[in-house]
Amino acid sequence: MMLALVLTATLTALACQREEATDTADDTDIVEDAGPALDVSDVALGRSIGPDRKVAEEVGDFAPTDTIYASVETSGTGSGTLSARWTFEDGQVVDEGTQSVTGAGVTEFHVSNPAGWPAGHYEVVISLDGDEVDRSGFDVTTGT
Amino acid sequence: MGLFDKKDDKKKEEKKAGKKADFSKVQSGSSTTAKPEAKAAAGAKSYTVKSGDSLWKISEQMYGNGNDWRRIYEANKDRIQNPDVIQPGWVLTIPAQAGSTGEVK
Repeated sequence: MMLALVLTATLTALACQREEATDTADDTDIVEDAGPALDVSDVALGRSIGPDRKVAEEVGDFAPTDTIYASVETSGTGSGTLSARWTFEDGQVVDEGTQSVTGAGVTEFHVSNPAGWPAGHYEVVISLDGDEVDRSGFDVTTGT
Repeated sequence: MGLFDKKDDKKKEEKKAGKKADFSKVQSGSSTTAKPEAKAAAGAKSYTVKSGDSLWKISEQMYGNGNDWRRIYEANKDRIQNPDVIQPGWVLTIPAQAGSTGEVK
């Protein structure tokens, strides 16, 4: 009789442990999916963007009154910080911006200058978590 | 002669200094369809789309009911243009089920 009671208690305890292990496995199974690391797949410059944050038309020359958009496409999974550093001619910093991103998508950075952009050559450097991933040059000309 | 040279150098320096443009009025901004962590709603979870997935399948998997796919679509409208088309690798926000304590199945 005593042996039967001990056996029943042991089996019940084992069954409970098994159930807990299954529940935990169910939760992790669905939520976490390993995938490729977050990466920048494309950078495009333009004068306007659509609702998908992609530039409507990729250009390399701008007018002094233009708003300049840099559209950055990310792929993969995970989170990171994208940054855009805009410079003029010999490296004079025009502006710097950052944006937290999670997973694949499109991020846009834009700059405008109510005083008008001085004519000359500019660059925008895109970095992901501090590492430079793209460098695009463009010109501002008064005749554009 | 030396005096003229000095004058030329000074002119060159002034010209160089004058080239420093004024960007003090520059305005900037940014936005993304790759949701920042801060925007993740309380109780929501993320799901990475796999090949062969559909919103119906994901809803069935996460909520136990494929009919709730619209909740996932609404939460990810900034990325999903067409609910019939989702791409492997996309990280979707899975909102907590209505009336639940914030837990997704």
